[in-house]
Amino acid sequence: MSTQTIPMPLAAEAQLRPTSLVATLPGIALLFSIGLAGKLLEHAFTVLRTQHHLPLPQIEYVLWAIILGLIVSNTFGVADLFRPGVATYELWLKLGIVLVGARFLLQDVLHIGGLSLALVAVELVLSLSVMTLLGRIFRLPPKLTSLLAIGSSICGVTAIMAAQGAIDPDEEDTSTAIAAILTLGAIALLAFPAIGHLLHMGQQAYGMWAGLAVDNTAESIVTGSLFGPEAGRWAILAKTARSSFIGFVVLGYAVYWASQGQAAVVEHKTLFLWQKFPKFILGFLAISFLATAGFFTHPQLDSLSNLSRWAFLPAFAGVGLRTNLKDLVGQGWRPLIVGVLGEVFIALITLGLVFWSYNHGVAR
Amino acid sequence: MATPDRTRSTQKHSTHKLPINVDLLAIGIGLALAALIRLGVIHQISF
Repeated sequence: MSTQTIPMPLAAEAQLRPTSLVATLPGIALLFSIGLAGKLLEHAFTVLRTQHHLPLPQIEYVLWAIILGLIVSNTFGVADLFRPGVATYELWLKLGIVLVGARFLLQDVLHIGGLSLALVAVELVLSLSVMTLLGRIFRLPPKLTSLLAIGSSICGVTAIMAAQGAIDPDEEDTSTAIAAILTLGAIALLAFPAIGHLLHMGQQAYGMWAGLAVDNTAESIVTGSLFGPEAGRWAILAKTARSSFIGFVVLGYAVYWASQGQAAVVEHKTLFLWQKFPKFILGFLAISFLATAGFFTHPQLDSLSNLSRWAFLPAFAGVGLRTNLKDLVGQGWRPLIVGVLGEVFIALITLGLVFWSYNHGVAR
Repeated sequence: MATPDRTRSTQKHSTHKLPINVDLLAIGIGLALAALIRLGVIHQISF
């Protein structure tokens, strides 16, 4: 049994290199430039299609921003000058989620959020079990299996990074798990909307499915938004409910690996849970509460909603910019196979749960 | 042993971090913007 303890804050976080505000400006400018270019392209295509009758597809700015980001990162690459600013995509994403709270009545948040929590609980038990089983069948290193299980059952890269400080895996395992999760997120972006249309899913049901099944928060919101703006909002709600479990799952794995003598002991479990809890959810709930209480007029609610879309614009560009296809294909096939099989299982389970909820009147 | 390609993804996610808590910053900016809109300092925002 290890006698090492995890100091608070976690050692892994203490090693992070602070980035000055000025250093982030070039990258932030790049994020907004790509996002705005995506919006302009959407408008240009609409004009060419409607006024000049050219046979062009309708491509939402969401997809354009990702495509442009992918092109930049995989052709020119993201120069070191831009990397600190590109990393702020997480801030824009969370700011967008906080502001979109204006579009939710608190009773909807409690009903659908509560339903999501119940569905997530079922999904968690099944997905963690299946991923662990698949990891053993394919003989993956045990900690890589843990990382894949944590990443695929909760919130992707964020959960993996949270677990990194708690279960002390090899750096290679962490990188492989992140690459596998990002690859699967990219596949979901293409596959989920197609499946949703094929099954004639409603906006709310599809949004919940995307929020429950797609791992990374950014990819989850994009996957929802590609189906429609309403689906994007419901994906946010389901995803935030799912993310709230992160502390419990990471703590469970930390306790397990500590019992094996292969990770530090967690001394203050309540403090650990609070530190891992995604606190931006509280901002989302606060704005939703104010909107429900009639604190804002309808035009003000529209403004808040539009501000959230402006915040999502650079976040979507960041999804494309941080995806390096060379990294994704160089990770080895076994983790990817385990990830694909596990994700397909999770997608089917959550799809079944969502259909059951709507067919039995549990969701409305 | 980790290869350079395999460590790159982790480095990207772990080394570039704002010196403040992103969650609290997002909440702070979000509530500040909401207050400015409520007080009429920021007028109609379109998208």
